[in-house]
Amino acid sequence: MTSLDVSHLTVAFGDRTVIDDLSFNLKEGEISSLLGPSGCGKTTLLRVIAGLLQPREGTIRFGSQLVGLSSVVLPPNKRRTGYVPQQGALFPHLNVAKNIAFGLDKKEFSADQIKKTVSDMLALIGMSGFENQMPTELSGGQQTRVALARALAVKPKLVLLDEPFSALDAELRNELRSDVVALLRSQGTTAILVTHDREEALVSSDKVVLMRDGKIAQYGSPEEVYESPISPSVAASTGDALILNAQQSADGSTTYAISSNGSASQNSMNSNGYVVIRPEEIMVSKSSSNGVNGTLIQLDYYGHDAMLVVKLAESSEIIRARVAGPMDFEVGDKVSVEHRGPIRFFANS
Amino acid sequence: MTKLDQEPIAPPLFTSRGEPAEVHPVLNVLVGLLLSVVLIPFIYLLIRAFEKPLPGIVELLFRGKTLEVLATTAVLLIIVVAVNIFLGTLISAGLHFVQVPKAHLLIVASVLPLAIPSYVFTYTWLALLPSLSGVLAAAFVLILTTLPYMFLAILVSLRRIDNGFIEVARTLGQSRRQIFFRVILPQIRGSISAGALLSGLYVLSDFGAVSLLNVETLTVSIQNMFKSSYDRSAASVISLVLILASVVFIAADERIKDKKAKENVFKRRYTQESRISSLRLKSFVLVLVGMYTSLAVIVPFYVLISRFISNPNPIDVSGLITASVSTISVSALGAVIALVFSAPLGFLIATHAGRFSRFSERIILIGHALPGVVIGLALVSLGSKLGPIYQSVFLLAFAYALLFLAKAVASMTFSLQLVPSVLKEVAATLGKSKAKISTSVVFPIALPSIGLGTLLVFLTAMKELPATLMLRPTGMDTLATQIWSYASINRFNDAAPYALLLVLIAAVPTFLLSMPRAESSSNSAQNESKVGSIA
Repeated sequence: MTSLDVSHLTVAFGDRTVIDDLSFNLKEGEISSLLGPSGCGKTTLLRVIAGLLQPREGTIRFGSQLVGLSSVVLPPNKRRTGYVPQQGALFPHLNVAKNIAFGLDKKEFSADQIKKTVSDMLALIGMSGFENQMPTELSGGQQTRVALARALAVKPKLVLLDEPFSALDAELRNELRSDVVALLRSQGTTAILVTHDREEALVSSDKVVLMRDGKIAQYGSPEEVYESPISPSVAASTGDALILNAQQSADGSTTYAISSNGSASQNSMNSNGYVVIRPEEIMVSKSSSNGVNGTLIQLDYYGHDAMLVVKLAESSEIIRARVAGPMDFEVGDKVSVEHRGPIRFFANS
Repeated sequence: MTKLDQEPIAPPLFTSRGEPAEVHPVLNVLVGLLLSVVLIPFIYLLIRAFEKPLPGIVELLFRGKTLEVLATTAVLLIIVVAVNIFLGTLISAGLHFVQVPKAHLLIVASVLPLAIPSYVFTYTWLALLPSLSGVLAAAFVLILTTLPYMFLAILVSLRRIDNGFIEVARTLGQSRRQIFFRVILPQIRGSISAGALLSGLYVLSDFGAVSLLNVETLTVSIQNMFKSSYDRSAASVISLVLILASVVFIAADERIKDKKAKENVFKRRYTQESRISSLRLKSFVLVLVGMYTSLAVIVPFYVLISRFISNPNPIDVSGLITASVSTISVSALGAVIALVFSAPLGFLIATHAGRFSRFSERIILIGHALPGVVIGLALVSLGSKLGPIYQSVFLLAFAYALLFLAKAVASMTFSLQLVPSVLKEVAATLGKSKAKISTSVVFPIALPSIGLGTLLVFLTAMKELPATLMLRPTGMDTLATQIWSYASINRFNDAAPYALLLVLIAAVPTFLLSMPRAESSSNSAQNESKVGSIA
């Protein structure tokens, strides 16, 4: 395993710049997620790191080894990355054991060593006894596991996962994801996971690389990018976000529709920016009178929690709040709304 | 943005098709060499044709006889292709959209005529109706021969249509008839065109059927000139006309070709429940398919078998064995040469999207337009310069390879493209060099399909008549030439064992390939498209 350093990377297809002067690094053993909407360049970045595409500018280092430079490139077969593409891409003509052994050089390893590696890997992914199955006989989740085993068998410097869970249904997806992440951690693997699922990015990684239009929009630990977004749009891409007009005065106090220092009426307020609030930071109550009054106009019930949509009486602002567990709200209820959390203010630019 | 702009300027290691973008110089040279070999007959014909002074060429082209031959060829071509389009669409749509009992067996039965070459069809029908002759008779026989090309092409693309389109159109208030014309037809236009191309090229290059039925088309005319006067220049001029006709036909198909939409993996299959169950339509389809299979399968087999049984003379077993052995060996040699030639060409086309690749594809397509008579003529004319190869099985095998190179390359390209580029990428990240990726991933996956393609080229070569007649070494008989020589002097009983053997050998793989597979319909669709494009 090794650290990764990507520096001033630019990739272009003709006139179209897909990755634009992008830099980030990963420590040994860190798992990071590349999160972003489709077309933002995250898969391209992964392929450049694997050596499958050549950058126009910039450098890529695995540890101290320079593997990619605009002019000199180490070919993909010399990089030792463990690449796990969507749906696994198992070789259809080889059985599970041969798929896992595919990257093990017969000149380097004896037949016994290869056999041992294969059975170790199968044990690792919980699929001992599947040696002679063909890929078509496996379920989607099993195929992904074998693809991961195949990648890990060569003791890669870096594991690259390109939306490996996207074809699976929700339940299997969560289960397999936590298995895979646990496995990568137990091996101390440096890994990059490409995903467009924000929860997946937050739950599985040490670092989240939030990509937007070929650039890094924000880069940090999951808590950082979720709790301290650098812009309202970054906040929206890591989770649900409520964005309200706000006024920050010279003494630093911030006033917005549900601020605790008394709600400013929209008309009197001289808005000079926004606040970003997570729905779970909003308390909704039928009995309390501490907050701002409003009417519950919509209720989306998800089981483990529910999203309440409240229209404020005074400002007519629409507030979305998440409440956990059992609750006794009904559309039409008069409620009181309160914000208990950090105030993230973004001035108008 | 123009197409060129979208190609990465920074040279990527892998193109969108997943292979190294730069063509290896050895591959370039190899392909260049092969292309010049493919073009030799064509260039030689050009030289021979223009040995004639220009006024002579003009006179030859515009004399009454030539115009008459051209008109005959055109009429025959138009009748066959038009009827094929009509019947082919009806049959394939019927078998696909109507709940016909045992539809898969009907498909197998309707594909079987692909195993019967046109001259065997003609001979069986002549044995039944000795007075048969003329353009209409030739059209009838050639429709029987080529209809499967058409309906297979259409059937394959019908199966690819997402049933979701049909359901959406239904909910938008369209009647079935409207859906057919507004949703289905636009999506199968390309396959109709491809079917028209295959059957049209068959008609243009056919020699056996028209010759037995006394219809003078371009091929017969060339063969006559070749035989009677040895006026090779005149024959070359007419050959060029024939090539031009084929090229025009190919170019027309290129224009109509479907824009390949990315296939939706989540598409809805057309299930048995969604098929039309109207009794009227069911019986219509059954009658249609029944008529075709009676005329194209039952009648020929009945004639062959009854002639075989009623033959009072003892069968010439040693003749039969000798002819089989020479047929099989020379066809196998031809198939192997075609395989060897097609490997670099197919590899280039399948994995390198570039100008040279497209150019090669075009050149090989021209090869598709060279009928057996023309290749035969060119190689015979070249013969004296070829030294010891002339009058040997090698020249004949080489002719087969040239004739079926387009099919071999198509099969090779198709097979190599069966390997998704992501597999090659994974192999690369697992430390395999490009050469190792080819041997450990690409070829193992593509091999069965390549083998199948070679087998089909072999079978097609076995049936080839005019080039065999012109190029076989003196004294060598093949099944095809034996059938021909007996049938052309009306000794149908003596031809029967040879014809029966040839048809049976060709029928087995045709039958196996067209059998539907339970596990994957797309697999059998692929097989059927292979039968259609290669058989």
